[in-house]
Amino acid sequence: MNQIITNSTNEPAVILRSVAKRFGAVQAVRELDLEVQRGALVGLLGPNGAGKSTAIRMIMSLIRQDSGELRVLGGDALDAKDRIGYLPEERGLYRRMRVGEFLIYLGRLKGLPRQGLSSRVEGWLERIELPGVFRSRCQELSKGMQQKVQFIGAVLHEPDLIVLDEPFSGLDPVNARILISTVQDLHRQGRTIFLSTHQMAQAEQLCERVVLINRGEKILDSTTREVTQRFSPRAVEIEPLAGIHAARSALEAIPGIESVKAAEDGLTAVLLVNERTDPHAVMSLALAAVPCRRIEIARVSLDDVFVRLVTEHGGHARQPVRGAA
Amino acid sequence: MIDNVIDKKNSSGFRFSRIMTIAIREFRHTVLTKGFIFGAILFPLMMFVVIGVMPFLLSNDQVPVRGTIVVADSDGSVARAIEIAFARFQAKTETGIGSSTAALSDALAKSQQGDVAALDALSDITTTVEVTVRRMSIDDDLAGIRDQVQSGELLALVEVPATLLESDPPADADVSLLVPSNSPAKTTALFARIARQATVVARVQRTGTDLAKAMALVREPQAQTARLTSTGTKAKENLELRFMIPGGFMMLMWIAAFTSANQLLTTTIEEKSSKVIEVLLSATSPLELLAGKILGQGFVSLLMLSTYGAAGIAGLAFLTMLDIVPLSSLILFFLWFLLAYFMVASIMAAVGSAVSDLREAQSLVQPAMIVMMIPLLLWLPISENPTGWLATITSFVPPIGPFVMVLRTTGAVEPIPIWQIGLALAVNGFSTIALVWIASRVFRIGVLMQGKPPTPMELLRWARAR
Repeated sequence: MNQIITNSTNEPAVILRSVAKRFGAVQAVRELDLEVQRGALVGLLGPNGAGKSTAIRMIMSLIRQDSGELRVLGGDALDAKDRIGYLPEERGLYRRMRVGEFLIYLGRLKGLPRQGLSSRVEGWLERIELPGVFRSRCQELSKGMQQKVQFIGAVLHEPDLIVLDEPFSGLDPVNARILISTVQDLHRQGRTIFLSTHQMAQAEQLCERVVLINRGEKILDSTTREVTQRFSPRAVEIEPLAGIHAARSALEAIPGIESVKAAEDGLTAVLLVNERTDPHAVMSLALAAVPCRRIEIARVSLDDVFVRLVTEHGGHARQPVRGAA
Repeated sequence: MIDNVIDKKNSSGFRFSRIMTIAIREFRHTVLTKGFIFGAILFPLMMFVVIGVMPFLLSNDQVPVRGTIVVADSDGSVARAIEIAFARFQAKTETGIGSSTAALSDALAKSQQGDVAALDALSDITTTVEVTVRRMSIDDDLAGIRDQVQSGELLALVEVPATLLESDPPADADVSLLVPSNSPAKTTALFARIARQATVVARVQRTGTDLAKAMALVREPQAQTARLTSTGTKAKENLELRFMIPGGFMMLMWIAAFTSANQLLTTTIEEKSSKVIEVLLSATSPLELLAGKILGQGFVSLLMLSTYGAAGIAGLAFLTMLDIVPLSSLILFFLWFLLAYFMVASIMAAVGSAVSDLREAQSLVQPAMIVMMIPLLLWLPISENPTGWLATITSFVPPIGPFVMVLRTTGAVEPIPIWQIGLALAVNGFSTIALVWIASRVFRIGVLMQGKPPTPMELLRWARAR
């Protein structure tokens, strides 16, 4: 694949300013501000019904915002359809159409020339480990295979901006890994990738930046590194050689430790550090006090951050409403 | 909620190549199905072949009639008439090869001409007929004869009651014809017809009337009808064709337009229910999608029109009747078809975009279907009077106007006034544009809507939405 030619403008690939969207009585998205820089890989996180798909559909110009400003690739997404790849959350194929024919059709709609299109499709099928399905009918494929075919449909024309709505949901770990690897390759080529997911582990693995929304409202917008630092639990995980029971009193005596929380297995414990003490200093003192098999600064997962923030902001979002898709 | 969907008409990305890509896919995936290939291509082809080959099949399929029939009547007059009829037939067929039986034919013709003049049951028989007639009295014991008929030794037993030969026969008296159970239908029908006609010949003969003269006297002459048009020219009248030709054209147009429009409805619903619509809309605008789909199904419709139309025209050529459909009528027919198709297709596409399954579509399509049935009801009255007030007024009423104009232009003896054709084209053309526009407004919102189907009022709101 060729490196993409970067646009001379420095304007972010996606800009949302105070964008709001209401479906009847439900405020699906409220005053959403968001920027996706060119070449970035950004994850839009949130529980089910948080407004992720609505936000993405507005970005794709499939539905119109009630208020606010929205720009994609320097203008309207409608004017840049051929430069955007989109994998919708609700996936669909022409069931009786052959895989190759379907992808060629999508490629033609995206403005790709007929010449060489067939070999391009076959190349992509090989790349995501779907060899030999070119002439198969879509309905003959498993759900996971269909999802990979749809993914090819989104990236076949090598777009500048790739928008993926829950790209890994429903995939087994092997296929999810293949898609993750492909997304990383596309990102390395300089393409802008904006994906929504509620699978925190994958977001943590993939995204440089995450935006968390709940009840249509943005509650977090930061780089993944900043999130893990900011939400660090100020704790040290330790596995003493002699077990927790033997080491507990020595650990509790270390200055700056608020409490020692032993795990149920009695082998490991978490040392909670007070606000005034550096966890790294605690780690040195603990190492000196107790012989350890393992000791490390406890890391926060996006999952923990997600649960914490969603809980703080009024709990789980409302169920999606019926209305405009 | 109406404002949810982006108005994409101002998109600078509007591309004809996308429309054609969609149209070609729509065309291919409709045409390359077994159902379509059979219904739109093989069926008319088969029809044409059957029409062309059937007469040969029928003529070759006739079973030779060989054997004996027994005719039982009161005085032998019916049996004699039947005997003469068969003898004449055999003589006639053998004359062609120069047989000596030609002499017999002449003799029979001269001596019995009057007796069998009305007996034409054998006139259209092309197979071999070698029948011997055995005479019996109606008073004889016929039980043994019936057994022979049952066993197939005899071809038939004809029983003619004496009362049937009286000058004033009773209404409930009939000729009895017994045939074996395996007697071919055509042979049985032939015997029945000969028996009836021979009975009449015998009855008339008894009164001493010259049957040939009587038949000549009561024969109704043909009326060579011509219509004197307003320009003073005579137009040949053919009642059957005056009804059949316009009806045929109108039905052809109706079927072609509705089959494709219905397909448009189905494929739109399928794309919505299979969720492929959102993938398509990420690559194309709703207006491009609608235009591509209508165009693609339009090609399908034209293909159907071509196959059925070609079969019809070939049929007319076969009958040397091509002159009854002038080229100008065909050109106008094409124009009316385009208007009709785009109107019906727009309605169906709009409905298809607004619902989630075919069941929901029924309630919205039904009112439109009722309106579209009107041309079928108007077929006979408009064919009867293509320049009357009913025909004139309904020509300007969309969406039935194009159908009415087809009835008029292909059925009128005198030309339809040019101003009426022009006005009908203008009114129906404008209506077509308006309907396509409304459909596009509904489509752009409908394709992304889920949930309960909209009411007609909601559809109107969608059409008016900015």
